[in-house]
Amino acid sequence: MDSLYTLWLSTGLANFELGQVIMMVVGCGLLYLAIARNFEPLLLLPMGFGAILTNIPVAGFSEAGGLLHYIYYAGIDTGIFPLIIFMGVGAMTDFSALIGNPKTLLLGAAAQFGIFATLFGAIALNYVPGIEFTLKDASAIAIIGGADGPTAIFLASKLAPELLGAIAVAAYSYMALVPIIQPPIMRALTTDKERKIEMAQLRPVTKIEKIIFPLGVLLMTIFFLPSATPLVGMFCLGNLMRESGVVDRLSSTAQNELINITTIFLGLGVGSKLSSEAFLNVETLGILGLGAVAFSIGTASGVLMAKLMNKFSKVPINPLIGAAGVSAVPMAARVANKVGLEANPHNFLLMHAMGPNVAGVLGSAVAAGILLALVGT
Amino acid sequence: MNNMQQQFLEAGTLMLAGMVFVFVFLSILIIFINTVLAKLAIKFPDPVVVPSSRTNKKSNSQVAGKVSPAIVSAISGAVKRYRAQHGQAK
Repeated sequence: MDSLYTLWLSTGLANFELGQVIMMVVGCGLLYLAIARNFEPLLLLPMGFGAILTNIPVAGFSEAGGLLHYIYYAGIDTGIFPLIIFMGVGAMTDFSALIGNPKTLLLGAAAQFGIFATLFGAIALNYVPGIEFTLKDASAIAIIGGADGPTAIFLASKLAPELLGAIAVAAYSYMALVPIIQPPIMRALTTDKERKIEMAQLRPVTKIEKIIFPLGVLLMTIFFLPSATPLVGMFCLGNLMRESGVVDRLSSTAQNELINITTIFLGLGVGSKLSSEAFLNVETLGILGLGAVAFSIGTASGVLMAKLMNKFSKVPINPLIGAAGVSAVPMAARVANKVGLEANPHNFLLMHAMGPNVAGVLGSAVAAGILLALVGT
Repeated sequence: MNNMQQQFLEAGTLMLAGMVFVFVFLSILIIFINTVLAKLAIKFPDPVVVPSSRTNKKSNSQVAGKVSPAIVSAISGAVKRYRAQHGQAK
């Protein structure tokens, strides 16, 4: 009888706590979004599954000795996984559109206002009882506005590891929601005439420019913002592998096998942070809310900056491409293209929007470096 | 309350410093592209890719039935060489 009782005590049913059940439901929710709605499935699927695994009673996935515990500490706590992913993103990024029209860098810069404005919002939420965000927490939350998953995870693991789960969920969910969040803001801030603007063709970019560009970006980061060099350095390495043309094997590995393997572990590791104690509180709601605000402000400031540039520029600039300044590559650029096509069926903005889009990646890496340098000490 | 004001002040400073820095950084990058890269592009143009892609595009856009002289000379060169080789083999 005693052994039967012991057996019962070792079952999941006897050990379930309400919080764990709720978090498993949240995990299933992420799986649903990934499988049925196709929302960032590459990350949300392992993340949702990680959330289920980490909340299994008795198994101890996220305790010392458990698989997810080691995955988290080896790859996310150290910052290695997001950086490897950033290298892969670098290897996938083509800077031609940006080099061909360097002014679009300003759009990528303007969209980062979403990040810094959200900092205010996060601090203001301290008025709500039950929420207490330090400046470090606020900075980690604000980076959601950069719309760049690896950057958000990297910064959160450095500044506010206890909020990492909620921040990653918010960042990836909103990135998946870009086609829903952005168009209304873009339409509200532009006139029909502006949306119809056709842009001049980009100048051809030579190979040497594409090779020197990542090196130049790295050099500038070394000079002005060494705290951003982990992100920018890995990004530039990936990009140089791509553009040099002499290490196609490495470039192909970085943008395929390596990034895929890392994505599996990154998703699981982030999922392991979705425990009931860390996730089921008012702060998570605050983070989800602030993420949406950050995205919207980033989109709006990008569009407004593009409107301003269009006023003063000799060559016409379609304000819609400003919205692509929040990174979310290439989704945001596709959205700009789609909204442009609605207004003018002959207007293909995709290549033009890729400029601010990749500028946004650089911009959010720079913003992350600034936050690390100013708040991380 | 005082603490909150202090935090707001810090957040404000961070916002100002951050935005200024992002703009300055990316503006320097614009200057870098417009000066260094643009000069490099003029000095070291892509030697092979550009002309070949141009001729390709031209030949593609040719009206059917009218073949460009470049293609005619290439084909006749190849035929000549083939005939010469063929003759040697015999």
